Amino acid sequence: MTTLDAEVLVIGSGAGGAVTAATLARAGRRVVVVEEGPWVDPDALEPFSLEEMVAKYRHRGLSAALGSPTIAYAEGRCVGGSTEINSGLWHRLPPYLADEWRHTYRIDEFSPETLDRYAEGVERELSVSRVPGAPPPSSAVLERGATKLGWRNVEFSRVFRYDTNGRGVKQTMTRTLLPSALDAGASLIADCSVTRLLRKGDRIIGARCRRRHAGGAVEHITIHADHVLQRSGVRHGVGAGLKLHPTIKIAARFPQPLDHDGVPMHRITEFAPNLTIGGSASRRGHVAMALAESAGDYRDALDNWEHVLVYYAAIRSDAGGRVMAVPGARAPLVTYRLTEADMSRLARGLVHLGEVLLAAGATELYPSVADGLVARRTEDLVAWWDAVTRRRTNLMTVHMTSTVRMGEEQSRTGADSFGRVWGFRNLRVNDASLLPDAPGVNPQSATMTIAARNVAHFLAEA
Amino acid sequence: MLWFERQVVTTLTANLDEGLRAEVEAYVDETLRAMPEHLRAGMAAESVALGAWTRVRGGAGRSAPGASLDRLESSRLDPVRQYVRLLRSLVLFAEHELGHRPAQVVAT
Repeated sequence: MTTLDAEVLVIGSGAGGAVTAATLARAGRRVVVVEEGPWVDPDALEPFSLEEMVAKYRHRGLSAALGSPTIAYAEGRCVGGSTEINSGLWHRLPPYLADEWRHTYRIDEFSPETLDRYAEGVERELSVSRVPGAPPPSSAVLERGATKLGWRNVEFSRVFRYDTNGRGVKQTMTRTLLPSALDAGASLIADCSVTRLLRKGDRIIGARCRRRHAGGAVEHITIHADHVLQRSGVRHGVGAGLKLHPTIKIAARFPQPLDHDGVPMHRITEFAPNLTIGGSASRRGHVAMALAESAGDYRDALDNWEHVLVYYAAIRSDAGGRVMAVPGARAPLVTYRLTEADMSRLARGLVHLGEVLLAAGATELYPSVADGLVARRTEDLVAWWDAVTRRRTNLMTVHMTSTVRMGEEQSRTGADSFGRVWGFRNLRVNDASLLPDAPGVNPQSATMTIAARNVAHFLAEA
Repeated sequence: MLWFERQVVTTLTANLDEGLRAEVEAYVDETLRAMPEHLRAGMAAESVALGAWTRVRGGAGRSAPGASLDRLESSRLDPVRQYVRLLRSLVLFAEHELGHRPAQVVAT
């Protein structure tokens, strides 16, 4: 049995863990990062490919939150976490949400100005920027459709660095903060799962791993670590407040072929924050799956898959879910129950998405609704209002948050304003679990900003 | 894969050439193994139940799942429809990703 000593043990190497590890290592702390997934060369696999799903996704991308309807979800399970597999879109936490969360959960030092200061630091380090030149046609579709309808739309920045030829490389954690942490002296153990935190009174004194023991104070838990928390007897406010963005999709066929390599960077914000419209990965395999979700004969569309792209409408949900440990199982049980208002928002989202795609020139729309009518004209969209039911709708999500909410309101949170888990002196959470609610957009920016703020507070306090 | 799962996947891949079909089946098999335990257990139970039902309906050994796939896809029971949908999605994704990879250049 191997025993390791660490001053700070960071469990998980995704957006929150990487910020934590890099900042602490640069400050001279002895940091060990444990990651249950493998190290995968960030240049080795094509983004969104089958090979990438096999190598980097938890359960090869085949997970689901049980409920009515069931919601499929995907998350990273590799060094760098979901930053290795996401679209790299960067949305700062909107000021009104920061204010709302600060008041509702009584979060200290959570003003928009404070958060912006930390966001700027992270953005500099990750080279957050806009795509140089004109956006690709897949993204221009959204801009064109929204402009025709008079709807607000935004081209979002991405976590991409561009060379002089305009070629962009996503600045994942394995390309940025994790090498920086290692250069500053941190250690990283991949393929290593934490099975239990070792507790002594109100302190965590170490963690038992599947492959090795590591000793030291625990400072970070990922969403999957809720599982660890519950198995370790930490339950207060943990795992019960799961939030996510349910997403409904359309495979849209256009008269001309379009690009399929990336994810559109435009988002339609006319109905934000409760409803956001954007584009998804649209490789040939994704197009085939999306076309098959609806009722129509999709063979001709599939034969011309270069003309088809997948777009989505994502909602902020009123509902909540749970992440629970299952005795004897490695995977936790995840549940989520949509409200009637959520279902109504999804129907509205599908119709608005259809409107904008038709306005942009799409000729056929295949909704992710079983037996859903293929729409060719705006009039066809009327039928979709009644088609979005719990039985027929196929939903998915990629953003899971809020299982250890932060704030001083102890009855509604699992950790204090800076991520310290209630009842423990040295156990902290520093990832998307802390967000009090799903922000309505990709949470990577909010997660990294809050993590940077929390780790700065930790260093100032120590 | 369990017997009935293999029957369904074989039906869905019937039009593929042998090499690609083997690749797709291997992908589906590995992906089902990677599912969360509780989801896999539920699916396995469904496979056993549907397999038994199919044999009873068609007579043991006489009814291929292909004949009943349409019936299952239009079932009034959500889990049954989702069962077929899941396997169909896995097959479609693998078929279109594995079957259209760019040709490899081999230096000799």
